[in-house]
Amino acid sequence: MSVAYASLLMFQVGARCFAAPVAAIARIHKGKPGSDTNPVQGTALGTPLFGKRGLTVAVDGRNRTLVVDQVLGVRSVPAGDLRAMPAVAGACLRSRAVTGLVLLEELLTVVVDLEALIREADASAGPKPDPRPTEEMASHAQ
Amino acid sequence: LHIIMADLDAWLFCLRLLGARYAFEAQLVSEVVRMGPLTRLPSAPAFLPGVFTHRGEVVPVLDVQQLMGQGAVAMTPNTRAAITQCGEWKVAVVAEAIEGLVCVPTAHLDPAPGSAKGVAEFLANVARDPKGEIAVLDLNRLVEVARARSVPA
Repeated sequence: MSVAYASLLMFQVGARCFAAPVAAIARIHKGKPGSDTNPVQGTALGTPLFGKRGLTVAVDGRNRTLVVDQVLGVRSVPAGDLRAMPAVAGACLRSRAVTGLVLLEELLTVVVDLEALIREADASAGPKPDPRPTEEMASHAQ
Repeated sequence: LHIIMADLDAWLFCLRLLGARYAFEAQLVSEVVRMGPLTRLPSAPAFLPGVFTHRGEVVPVLDVQQLMGQGAVAMTPNTRAAITQCGEWKVAVVAEAIEGLVCVPTAHLDPAPGSAKGVAEFLANVARDPKGEIAVLDLNRLVEVARARSVPA
């Protein structure tokens, strides 16, 4: 009888450890992610303390990099150790990026959908200013 | 006669919160557990301090004191919680102390005060026994309010 496994990347933001499916991650940055990586700093997971690593994820066809403090490695976890979020807890969380939990050494670690997490961070940051000049600015320029 | 007498009694599961006696209907409480290590959840409200595993199942912890707008129950290695079942939802209600089962004659159950504010918002009844008053909590109402307060405005 074969046992199904899930590959999870373990990472840290601040003092807390999280897991995300490896398949969703296009690249791991070993240094501090630069502005060219479209970095995302503050999310529902918190704000990184040092931000010396980055996880690049494709979001709506564009590469975005979640800035994290540490990448702890990849764990191959039996599917039986993955747990759904309890209904009460799921209904009370403001973030929809928390998809479940994984049991590692008898402790639960939160599993995160990185794509959803970055989308939420973008939505809470509000619309970005349009770099194109407005009609008023254009008339002043003339 | 014994059966008739039993029907006239209400069984409550009593715990201590905010220095006072609170209870749930006994049938809603399945067991009492000593709190293990909690996993905090991102973006969780203060009244949901985390989740833990119990017999392989993930159980969320509800801090009723925080839901009532009071200070948090202090979490120590001796802190205990009552695992309750509200419909299909299971929650561990963390308490300052656990008193256990209390039998109260239904004649000693009074309706909750009609206020929709503060602790009264969550009460189903007020019971009396020789040790004093017991505020009987409405578990369904607690869970409903917890959900409603979690939805961003």
